[in-house]
Amino acid sequence: MAELTYREALRRALDEELERDDRVFLMGEEIGRFEGSYKVTAGLWAKYGPKRVRETPISEEGFVGAGIGAAMLGLRPVVEIMTINFILVAQDMVVNHAAKIRYMFGGKVGVPMVIRTPGGAGAQLTAQHSQSLEVWFAHVPGLKVVAPSNPADAYGLLKSAIRDDDPVLFVENLVLYNVTGSVPEPEEDFTLPLGRAHVAREGTDLTIVAHSYTVRRALAVADRLAQSGFEAEVVDLRTLRPLDVDTVVESVRKTNRVLIAEEGWATYGVGAELAARIGRACFDDLDAPPERVAGAEVPMPYAKPLELAALALEDKVEAAARSLLAECGLVGSA
Amino acid sequence: MAVEIPMPRLSDTMEQGTVARWLKHEGDRVAEGDVIAEIDTDKATMELTAFEDGVLLKILVGEGESADLGTTIALIGSEGEEVPEAAPPLEQREGAAPSDTGQREPEPAEPVARPSQPTEEVKASPIARRMATDAGLDLRGLAGRGSGPDGRIVKVDVERALGAEGVPVAQTAAPGPTPATGQTPASDEVIEATPMLRAVAQRMSESKATVPHFYLDAEIDVSRTLEVREELNQALADEGEKVSVNDLVVRAVALALIEHPKFHRSWDDGKLVLHKSAHVGIAVALDDGLIVPVLRSVEQKSVREIARESRDLAERARAGKLRQSEIEGGTFTVSNLGMFGIPSFSAVVNPPEPGILAVGAAVRRAVVEGDTVEIRSIMAVTLSVDHRATSGAEGARLLASIKRRLEQPLLLLA
Repeated sequence: MAELTYREALRRALDEELERDDRVFLMGEEIGRFEGSYKVTAGLWAKYGPKRVRETPISEEGFVGAGIGAAMLGLRPVVEIMTINFILVAQDMVVNHAAKIRYMFGGKVGVPMVIRTPGGAGAQLTAQHSQSLEVWFAHVPGLKVVAPSNPADAYGLLKSAIRDDDPVLFVENLVLYNVTGSVPEPEEDFTLPLGRAHVAREGTDLTIVAHSYTVRRALAVADRLAQSGFEAEVVDLRTLRPLDVDTVVESVRKTNRVLIAEEGWATYGVGAELAARIGRACFDDLDAPPERVAGAEVPMPYAKPLELAALALEDKVEAAARSLLAECGLVGSA
Repeated sequence: MAVEIPMPRLSDTMEQGTVARWLKHEGDRVAEGDVIAEIDTDKATMELTAFEDGVLLKILVGEGESADLGTTIALIGSEGEEVPEAAPPLEQREGAAPSDTGQREPEPAEPVARPSQPTEEVKASPIARRMATDAGLDLRGLAGRGSGPDGRIVKVDVERALGAEGVPVAQTAAPGPTPATGQTPASDEVIEATPMLRAVAQRMSESKATVPHFYLDAEIDVSRTLEVREELNQALADEGEKVSVNDLVVRAVALALIEHPKFHRSWDDGKLVLHKSAHVGIAVALDDGLIVPVLRSVEQKSVREIARESRDLAERARAGKLRQSEIEGGTFTVSNLGMFGIPSFSAVVNPPEPGILAVGAAVRRAVVEGDTVEIRSIMAVTLSVDHRATSGAEGARLLASIKRRLEQPLLLLA
């Protein structure tokens, strides 16, 4: 095991896959000589050269389309979009082409492409650069959407995403890039399956479901609740599509209470989807309706106090958890 | 189109019913209002009336067989109608309450205000409901008093009610009793409790858990009562009638209840229900069980009427032939173990009644009367009272009133 940052774990996954499979190549803005806006591709241009680490103009629709074409013809492109906010100009390529080609070509041609892109907020990047748009893509049949919360998961899931034969939107997180964690050594050929959630912490009184950075918030909240005598179970979804409902359901059947936390907007969000699935699968297990906590439904403000107020930070998640517990007659000591 | 006849809810606490007898057979014509079957509930045998005209096409639950509430037990349709090959299975239809099955719930002979009359609306979380069902706990006892929003009953409430341990409620967790988890020795036999025993268990647990009891003892000199009874029975012998000591006690109790309205009332979640008429339940021991038929408006009945009615009720209770309306609506209960030679005991209040009188055997005892010692017949009674409904002083007054009437039994005939 090595102690790596999330950023380094991603880089190592890319490096190993470039090494392992010469069909794999990277493409994106400033990912070569400049080593990427967030330095995820640092050293790779030097190591693999401009043919396999390709610089592109600011032309998301163009280079995502180029990636789709390359994938259809047998390559394994890993396309970086600087942040998820810029994917909007390539939406037609992602939703109408990448997601549909296997279906429209009768299953004969697939698009084994990964789009890596960070989302999230919290760095005063304001309304246009602070979004969590992953649920837009999780809505679309034909796409897979992965959103790891820690370095080891980022490493194992990115390798699986590159090896997957269908398009995967791989959602990273700006605030997670510097988070460190243990990552298996390269020789272990560690991968994590797509579409499987993970119980990040076991508990009995409440399930908190989250993905990406919000998992860290949920774990911190679980620690706080433990001081009041409540054991929260934290389920890290890891993948939003396919959604591992079974793991969530198993947890909720145990705890009877569920809070879904997400950084994006609640309306039509991950919590909305899960609440419906849980309501159906766990109806007789619930002690209270599934609860959601999410970002304020506003464009992200620039002013720091307003940004903090708009985010679903630990305090907000904790308050939602305690309110749900109180609704079930569980009032902890202070 | 055949209409499904579901197992109706014929008592408040029944979860299952047993078909005692089909009065109509497959192919028989039935008219709305016809009694088509007799159903044994946990408490009594009830009549099942048809709610449609037609032909009894199919009986799905035979005599002696049991079915959960809402289960289809028969099909009624038109003459010659084909019974669908896949006749509706013995499916349980959740929430099949009488109101939506077309089966009428029997009306009590006389509407009686019943505190904590279970409404169909018990607000509880799904897991609380499921746990209660699994444990055989009636959530109506907790209705409106749960820890959730608007008194919704939630999991912790059920856990507390079941005495679970380890409920993480730092401020309010009360240590529950240790559940009996011991292994059953191989030589013992485990059988299913009958619905009646389950109903008794549930009701008594609910009473002891939620009704704050207190107890008042009294000794009543029934020497005159016994003499009067003897005279009465000699006089009635020609007519083949007989009066028991208990009949006289019931009469004394009813008159005392009417005299003491501050006792004769029931607690109903912050309200008091004032009873205007004394409906006195008589605890009847069965072969393996217990039932409390209710004598209505006892204050308006003569001793002779009380004797006749209570004998009839007790006989039908033992035969399992009581109607639901005859076992509900009591405002007080008398429990008598005198015939077993028990000198005194205390009984569990039968909610929502305010009290129950436990009557022991009349025992001949030496009693100091002035400067002499006399042999008198003394009967010890214990009044158990719901302290929410009334107080010790009111209980004492009621007891004095009962005592006065039994010691001067002509008052019972007046």
